[in-house]
Amino acid sequence: MEAVLPKLMKMMPFLFGIGFIAPCVAQILPRLGLVPPAGMTPVAFGLAVGGAWGLIANLRGRWL
Amino acid sequence: MSEAGLIEGVVGATADRPALLLGPDGLDRHTRRDLRKEEIAIAARFQGEGGWPYAIWAVGGFAVWLGMFALAFLHRLNLPVALVYSSVYAGLGYIVAHDAIHHNIFRQDSRWHWLNELSGWLAVLPIVFPFPLARIVHLRHHTHVNDPLEDPDYSDDARNVWHAIWKTWWNRQPGVKGSIHAYKEAAYKIGTPEAMQALKITLVAQLLFMAALFAMAWSGFALEAVCLWWLPRHLGLTYARIYLSWAPHHPREGNTGRYNNSVIFTSMWGDVGSSFMAYHLLHHLYPRIPVHQTRPAFYAMRHILEARGVDVSSRPVKGR
Repeated sequence: MEAVLPKLMKMMPFLFGIGFIAPCVAQILPRLGLVPPAGMTPVAFGLAVGGAWGLIANLRGRWL
Repeated sequence: MSEAGLIEGVVGATADRPALLLGPDGLDRHTRRDLRKEEIAIAARFQGEGGWPYAIWAVGGFAVWLGMFALAFLHRLNLPVALVYSSVYAGLGYIVAHDAIHHNIFRQDSRWHWLNELSGWLAVLPIVFPFPLARIVHLRHHTHVNDPLEDPDYSDDARNVWHAIWKTWWNRQPGVKGSIHAYKEAAYKIGTPEAMQALKITLVAQLLFMAALFAMAWSGFALEAVCLWWLPRHLGLTYARIYLSWAPHHPREGNTGRYNNSVIFTSMWGDVGSSFMAYHLLHHLYPRIPVHQTRPAFYAMRHILEARGVDVSSRPVKGR
């Protein structure tokens, strides 16, 4: 367990992307009256944006 | 005076020399001792417990914050109000925990000391900075103020207030060793059983924080999670890093002495809005003075600080 938790922390930006950014995007889009491109559902679009952003943050070590 | 000295004409130079050896502050040791005695006597008047107002704000404020989560789940939460309240509680939380760190809310021998500890634990939960880690690294900061290698707060060093604001954001990035990352490294370096325990608690707290955000967001309460916890945490941390770390210790480089490790400043937010950090020097001189008493203690001690060579001109934080 003690070996797993630090590894989990190292992946946290990616997990944050799919765990938090994705549902945020999915819930904000309809409130703003926006429709995701290419026929995607808000959740799928949120996962794409959040997952990609989190992965980039994980690799680069910064969010912006 | 020797005869040789008279012949060589050093009489004048000797006469100008002070009777006692002067230190780098221009004071002889007798003057320094007298000033120190007076300083200690003044400080003793202001050392005491912060007591109930601190505890009520910490515990009561936390209960209100928790109540807002219940309102969120009942779809009765006003998001702007929640954002403002949570940010204020997160921002001012650290200063309450800071006094709890020094047992300034209730002393160790008080029957209410458990409330001191509870206040400390609750007040820093919104910024996800567990109290045991906060205590360990803050006490380390006291013993190594402005030491670039040993002061856990040194990563807040910045050229000016705008750079400091940017730095608070930068230090929180996943690949940058500042802020909580620097604290965790400092605790690991300290290496005591208490420090290692604090690290474990911090790890669990960070994971629980993430789990709470994820659970709320995927249950349809993403905006509520943003307004109640995620954004207030970032705003609170930014405030705490600027006012409780950068402003009172800027400039840090080389200023490691008892009377120059902190500066006296003024803030557009006033004493309460700046968490009384304008008088932080008094806290470093006498950590047992509760934070709200550092202002009167400063005015009572001002003449001593001036004699010690401290700049008491109170420059605005923005101009530095």
